[in-house]
Amino acid sequence: MRLHEYEAKEVFKKCGIPVPEGKVAFSSEEAVRVAKEVGLPLVIKAQVFVGGRGKAGGVKFAKNLKEVEEISDKILKMDIKGYKVEGVLVEKRLNIEKELYLGMTIEGSAGKPAVIVSSEGGVEIEETARNYPQRISSIQVNVFKGLKSYEARFLVKKLGLKGERLFKVSNILYNLGNLYRNYDALIAEVNPLVITTEGEIFAADAVLQVDDSSLFRHPELQAKAIERIPDELEREAKNVGVTYVNLDGDIGLICSGAGLGMATMDMVRRKAKPANFLETGGGMTKELMAGALRVVMKKKNIRAVFINVYGGINPIHEGAKGVVEVIKEDKIKVPIVAKALGNRQEETWGILEEGGVKVVKESRTSKAIEELFRILKERE
Amino acid sequence: MAILINENTKVIVQGITGKVGSRQTRLMLDYGTKIVAGVTPGKGGEEIYGVPVYDSVKEAKEEHRIDASVVFVPARFVKDTCFEAIDAGIKLIVLVTEHTPVYDAMQIKAYAKTNRTIVIGPTTPGIISPSEKIKIGILPGNMFCPGNVGLISRSGTLTYEIAANFCEGGIGQSTAVGMGADPVVCTNLIDLLKLFDEDGQTRVVAIVGEVGGTEEEIAAQFIKEKMSKPVVAYIAGKSVPPGKRMGHAGAIVERGRGSAESKMRALREAKVKVAEMPENIVQLVKEALREI
Repeated sequence: MRLHEYEAKEVFKKCGIPVPEGKVAFSSEEAVRVAKEVGLPLVIKAQVFVGGRGKAGGVKFAKNLKEVEEISDKILKMDIKGYKVEGVLVEKRLNIEKELYLGMTIEGSAGKPAVIVSSEGGVEIEETARNYPQRISSIQVNVFKGLKSYEARFLVKKLGLKGERLFKVSNILYNLGNLYRNYDALIAEVNPLVITTEGEIFAADAVLQVDDSSLFRHPELQAKAIERIPDELEREAKNVGVTYVNLDGDIGLICSGAGLGMATMDMVRRKAKPANFLETGGGMTKELMAGALRVVMKKKNIRAVFINVYGGINPIHEGAKGVVEVIKEDKIKVPIVAKALGNRQEETWGILEEGGVKVVKESRTSKAIEELFRILKERE
Repeated sequence: MAILINENTKVIVQGITGKVGSRQTRLMLDYGTKIVAGVTPGKGGEEIYGVPVYDSVKEAKEEHRIDASVVFVPARFVKDTCFEAIDAGIKLIVLVTEHTPVYDAMQIKAYAKTNRTIVIGPTTPGIISPSEKIKIGILPGNMFCPGNVGLISRSGTLTYEIAANFCEGGIGQSTAVGMGADPVVCTNLIDLLKLFDEDGQTRVVAIVGEVGGTEEEIAAQFIKEKMSKPVVAYIAGKSVPPGKRMGHAGAIVERGRGSAESKMRALREAKVKVAEMPENIVQLVKEALREI
């Protein structure tokens, strides 16, 4: 779960990482009120779940209240790469002397948290890694002890900081390490960390991505997790209990298992465009499959649906009942082709065939997809 | 021979009284797995399909020889459950549970390493060795058959499909291992490759990978430099859009890492033949066996 910049900054502030004075606003009037409170000049930043907002015009400076009103009005009406802007963060503009990068992530293969610092702030860390790897320093953290103060100082010293600045920035990095642990983060990033001409230090931007599997430890976030999925169908699918990813094609997919789902998607893609990726997970029921098919059919342009499921941990005969029920109740006319193997496969086939589903009794997904395309061609 | 398990492996089921735990115990017993005990705190003294249930691993250990544990407990109890098994001296843990917090997985991985315990997972379908008549986990036994291909997979159902394709093509498996598809897995791809390279029964290794992380890229380096047996692969997720999490917690192409192209490129550079579709991996294995 990704937090908005303004939410991440609230967390950062609480955890001892200084952030610029400011507040989120959801209307231009509200933005003006914040501006009066905070004082000019200001920066107005789109709150949106997609990268590259600066280049898209989602970050602007305002010198007076008229500008605050105009700019925030414009940004609030923006769509950035298809994502709706959900608010604007109105913040005091900083006089930048120096920009740094501080980040924490997971080193997947090592299975340890990693701290990354760079003397190059304000650009993506991947870009610095490619172009100026010598500006980056990184260490892995002991997963039981967490980041230690001396490790933070050791890293920050490599950025060329001395004296009081060395202590202040190390302290911020140490706090970031604690925050990372306490919030079950996958990514926690300050980019840039700004040192102002007045010598003050602020996290000018904040990224915090929390592990979805840990949300039971963070009930305040869990409550928000579903409502903030930007895509309506993806949100609906989450409520059904399946993973759905909206794609731009017209062949609906329902698969049990993520690997099988991706492989199926890849194979359909050789000849046509999938409308979605959908993975049922291991808790299949009649209701779950009914809900899944209904979500898939929500798109108006669906030409056909392909179901690819295994009865390992899942009772596929129960799932089949859900599919057949929806075909009948919703009067689905597009062809539905299914490949269903594993425990109780014969029973499953019987239920599906009786309900009008074309069952392909074959262990190769590619053959079942060929059958789907054959049926589609026949109908033309 | 097989890797990790054999016909004499004695197994306990942690979370044996739950819905999934009890059903899968039945299926493992039917396949031939020697399950000696189950553990569910508070349910000590009960029996599940004739298997005695204990309140703790320690109590089970006092009564039985135990080589491996399979874990079916809910995600929030996974860390404690694994720590309990490790502290009791069990050297192989198969962690089936989905949605384990990543931080917990990191701690289990570190603790297991210190105690020389192998943990497979989280989110693994398990391990199966058809010639030894043992499976630990949720893999459906009828999709696998005995042979000399070592199968390593990041997913569940796709493994079943590929195993079925193998069997139809007359190719059996020495051992099939699901390594799990979370951002952090406790046993890496490279560790499993090493085991298969040393295994007497295995002649060819097949990797079923998918988008996300850098396991396949790291493995490619190992295959190029150290591996003596031929390796073939299939990678799922060529058409995955960046930034989207595809069902598995770890299956995401982000920050320029984890794409199928990157993995296929790295593997091909290591002279690994990569299949275009899952079923094509059967042909690649046949070719590799002919060339040995």
